[in-house]
Amino acid sequence: MDEELIGFFREPCSQCSVVNWGVTEEGGYYCKSCHNVIERTVEVTDPSCVTGSRVSAISHGAKKPAKQKHGKDWMVCEGFQFILKQQAEALLAMGVRPELKDDILCNFWRGYLHKSQQAYTTKPLYSVTSQQESDSCPESLAASELSCLSKAETESDMDGARSTISGWSSDGGRLSSVCTEALDSSLYCSARERRMHHLMTMPMTLAFLHLSLLWLQEAITLADLLRFTAEGHIPYINAYQNFPEDMKLFGRDALIFRVESLPSYKMVQEEAHNLAIFLDLPRFPPLTSACLLHPSLLCLRYLMELNLPDELHVWVCWVMQQAGVGKDTFLTYDPWAEKSGLLNYDILASALIVVTLKLLFKLDDQQEWCLSNSADDENKQNQDSSIFCFRKWYKTVQGALVVAKEAEEQAMARKSWKSQKPVYPSMRNKSVVIKRRRVVEQLQAQFQKLTGSDPQPRQDSPSSFRLRWGEEDGGGPSYQGRRLGSAVKKRKGSARPSNPTYWHTALSSCKPRSEKSESLSVCPSTHPSIHPSIHPPILVRVMGVPGAAAKQHTV
Amino acid sequence: MITNGCMLKSFKVTEEKGNPLPPQREKKPKTSPCVLRCGTAYGNLLAMDDISAEWMTSPVRDCGSDNDVSNDDDDEDDEEEEPIRKRSKWPDLPIPAPWYGETSKETGFHRSSRLCLNQIRECLLEHRWQEAAEYLISYFQTLEEISTPRQLLATEIIFRLGSEILHQHPNSKLEDVNHFFDLMKNTGVRGYLKISLEHSFHLLLTGNFDDAVRQLTTAESWRYGKQSAVQADKMKLIHAYRGFLSYLSWISKKGSSSEDDDGDVSAIQEMHTYFRQACISLQEILKLPGVWDPFVVGYVNMLEFYNDHEGALNVLKEYAYDSRFPPNPNAHVYLYRFLKRQGSTEKKQIRVLKILGALVPSHELMLELFSLLLESGTEQSLKEALDVLFNLLDDCSWKHSVAAWTCFRNMIKLLRRKKLKHLLEEGWETRKDWWPAFHFRTYHARADFQLSRQLLLMKVVVASTLVGNSKNAFSACLGLIVPANPLGRCFPTQSTFLLLGAGKEQKHGLGVLVNP
Repeated sequence: MDEELIGFFREPCSQCSVVNWGVTEEGGYYCKSCHNVIERTVEVTDPSCVTGSRVSAISHGAKKPAKQKHGKDWMVCEGFQFILKQQAEALLAMGVRPELKDDILCNFWRGYLHKSQQAYTTKPLYSVTSQQESDSCPESLAASELSCLSKAETESDMDGARSTISGWSSDGGRLSSVCTEALDSSLYCSARERRMHHLMTMPMTLAFLHLSLLWLQEAITLADLLRFTAEGHIPYINAYQNFPEDMKLFGRDALIFRVESLPSYKMVQEEAHNLAIFLDLPRFPPLTSACLLHPSLLCLRYLMELNLPDELHVWVCWVMQQAGVGKDTFLTYDPWAEKSGLLNYDILASALIVVTLKLLFKLDDQQEWCLSNSADDENKQNQDSSIFCFRKWYKTVQGALVVAKEAEEQAMARKSWKSQKPVYPSMRNKSVVIKRRRVVEQLQAQFQKLTGSDPQPRQDSPSSFRLRWGEEDGGGPSYQGRRLGSAVKKRKGSARPSNPTYWHTALSSCKPRSEKSESLSVCPSTHPSIHPSIHPPILVRVMGVPGAAAKQHTV
Repeated sequence: MITNGCMLKSFKVTEEKGNPLPPQREKKPKTSPCVLRCGTAYGNLLAMDDISAEWMTSPVRDCGSDNDVSNDDDDEDDEEEEPIRKRSKWPDLPIPAPWYGETSKETGFHRSSRLCLNQIRECLLEHRWQEAAEYLISYFQTLEEISTPRQLLATEIIFRLGSEILHQHPNSKLEDVNHFFDLMKNTGVRGYLKISLEHSFHLLLTGNFDDAVRQLTTAESWRYGKQSAVQADKMKLIHAYRGFLSYLSWISKKGSSSEDDDGDVSAIQEMHTYFRQACISLQEILKLPGVWDPFVVGYVNMLEFYNDHEGALNVLKEYAYDSRFPPNPNAHVYLYRFLKRQGSTEKKQIRVLKILGALVPSHELMLELFSLLLESGTEQSLKEALDVLFNLLDDCSWKHSVAAWTCFRNMIKLLRRKKLKHLLEEGWETRKDWWPAFHFRTYHARADFQLSRQLLLMKVVVASTLVGNSKNAFSACLGLIVPANPLGRCFPTQSTFLLLGAGKEQKHGLGVLVNP
């Protein structure tokens, strides 16, 4: 009885911010958790209903229709569709070509729905399994009710259901039911079902985006995509917050849509590869040299980000050419080719830069400092600083990196993960979850007042570049215009690196320290003049280690 | 006249001296994950390791329901938890609960909260309250943790961090603090009483005595399903502190009524009411084994005022000698002081002090024991007095005490006079291999000389008597003297020491040393 009375009075208690009202004999409200009696009383509208001193109706808040309160039925894939749409729109706002959303991603998504038998099929996955499912989870009243309902519904209203899912619009007249969970969320909660039917997960939305971006040859690498996601430019954490009003999340939906961490680079890449195989995608269009994702241009971008001289680009391109990684046949992705995998364009470009640096400066902790000394001498002689000095560059970049890393850590510490609209795991927990959310909000408001800080932290606009050089508030002076100087020598009419050997710990033979002088003489002979004929296997082996290091620098 | 401020000061002092630890901690480890410590409320810089350490002693049952959303406001919750505890049959041992550090499977959310906590800790250690408060805004989201143990931990951490920051932040007002405490009380109902108690401590520290009393009175009447029963031991503490505050009110009333002698009848009446209130609660808490120093002092003080010396003595004896209570030197100190005030026999006083000496050989009252023993004058008591001195000087906190060394010098003279020097040998036997290094090194002499000449002189006498026999010891003694000589030229001969040892005048002795 009380439940009915207080059902529409949902204001939090002023003392303890719980919504747990009881009605006293006199018809006043009191908080059941802190026993705070408030002024507001139950107002009687219909005197005929009053029996004795009991009150049975209140005038505040007209009864909302049940449909409005519980929202309409929806499928989990509709939720993911909504998230994907939002993510695509965020990418479009960043300047990605509009084909991404309407042609590529949309087609991928349709293909996915079809292949996973969630739509565009005569045997939808959900109605097939729901019959078996009806007894398997007796504990959930909602689920059992749901499956009975949907069984009848899927037979009669099949066309309607399909039209709901097929387009971008998620409108469609469906019957309302008492449950508020997505209809098929129980399917998603079993790992076996998920694997079997290749059902959606949140990291898979990023895989979809990555594949679409790759197909479109947009200048956003996977590392960029993950960074934009982490910075909140692409909706991912709590993306379900923006669901339309009538799509209410409840119970197990939380397990599907709630995100407590960002997927790793490797994970998204694997997901994307599996997805490409699942979708049976053809060979991707090869990258043209005008495309920003092409290693040549990507290297240019990274050289700028790393504050390295533009002159290096020639050498990077040369290494790329020698290694054969600039060819059309290499710069593509064929899901069905043997030993296929998605190319890490960002890591490839970083590796090219690292190898180039090693060719020019050797980077064995001796040669680069010698070259720096001679660059300093030359600069002194010429009374300017037009020659690139590795030592100065290292100090500048190192300092900027330390600062950037600290800032990143602080941003991580301040990152907000929890949704403004929490999902209730069950009706029983609803009041607790709501209350906790309120307490958090009140505490945050109080401390914001105390510190006088802005409740909404400012957000930088998304940018491909994270470090800025040569500006007043940047990380340090710019070295882009510097010449390489004595690191490059003219020999037989063509420029060659003055450093004769390629130094790499994994390639050098192991000699004890006492035989250092001997080993130095051995190294060049075992790997004689690598630079004229660097072949891909060695490059790949080399890339293994510095690639990861370079990733840290640039990603 | 005793004002509120004074009372608070005395409150603080007693807090520091005695640290009433509820004994339930040892007896029933399952009852409370974080046992209250009365003295730790404020002023100490909060150490996060303490939180984790305390959390580690939390009961294992908290780890049971990992994936449930915690439901601490629900009475049903307890009904559910009860059978789980019975079923799992975990031993009630303080097995460390997992402390959430960096792992490979850590989610981004947990990484964020870990980093955030680290940042706050750094800020607190460096007293950057503003920044700490800013980070705390982000940290509040951990209250929405899904797993129950983590959620409970978050409540605890946020409560402690928040109260510390609000206590120190320049912009924080009393209303802020009250609002924060009220919020926290209703969030973590499992810690309601503890937070209430801390709240009243905070109010006491900021000088709001009446509010603190009100806070405790509210807490006393708090009922919340089974939650209030679970926190029964906290309730006892609340009662005790409520009584203690009544005692403080009693003191202030006593101070004001003794000022105007004619004595307002109603004021005396009021004072009696406070006395009765305080008596009832303090009596209750003193029945439980524990360290209740401030409570005992207050209770005895009141009893003495109303001339119930018998009762006071019984309370003190119970407190000192009951074997259920943890060994507590202060209990014996209070008993001794009471006996001294009452002018009881020396024998009784000596007996109490001897027990205290067994517990804390370096206690400051040992000098009083020494003089008491000297007064009785028998050979046995002289031997005991010497032991007391030796034990006292074993402790490095007495190393530079002029009084202690003077007592030793007097003792030596006395023994010599009574021809009981063999007593000295007995005590020296166990110390002769380490006392020279401990007391009689050159740099000791230099430091002592800078502190006071008197001290050096006393030590010289003692050293020459104790170590004078062997050659090695003599050189140690020589080291003691030589740098102390400002002229640095004269080297005292053995005769100098004989002169000194024979107990010449101090001035003369020094004169001999400086200008031989």
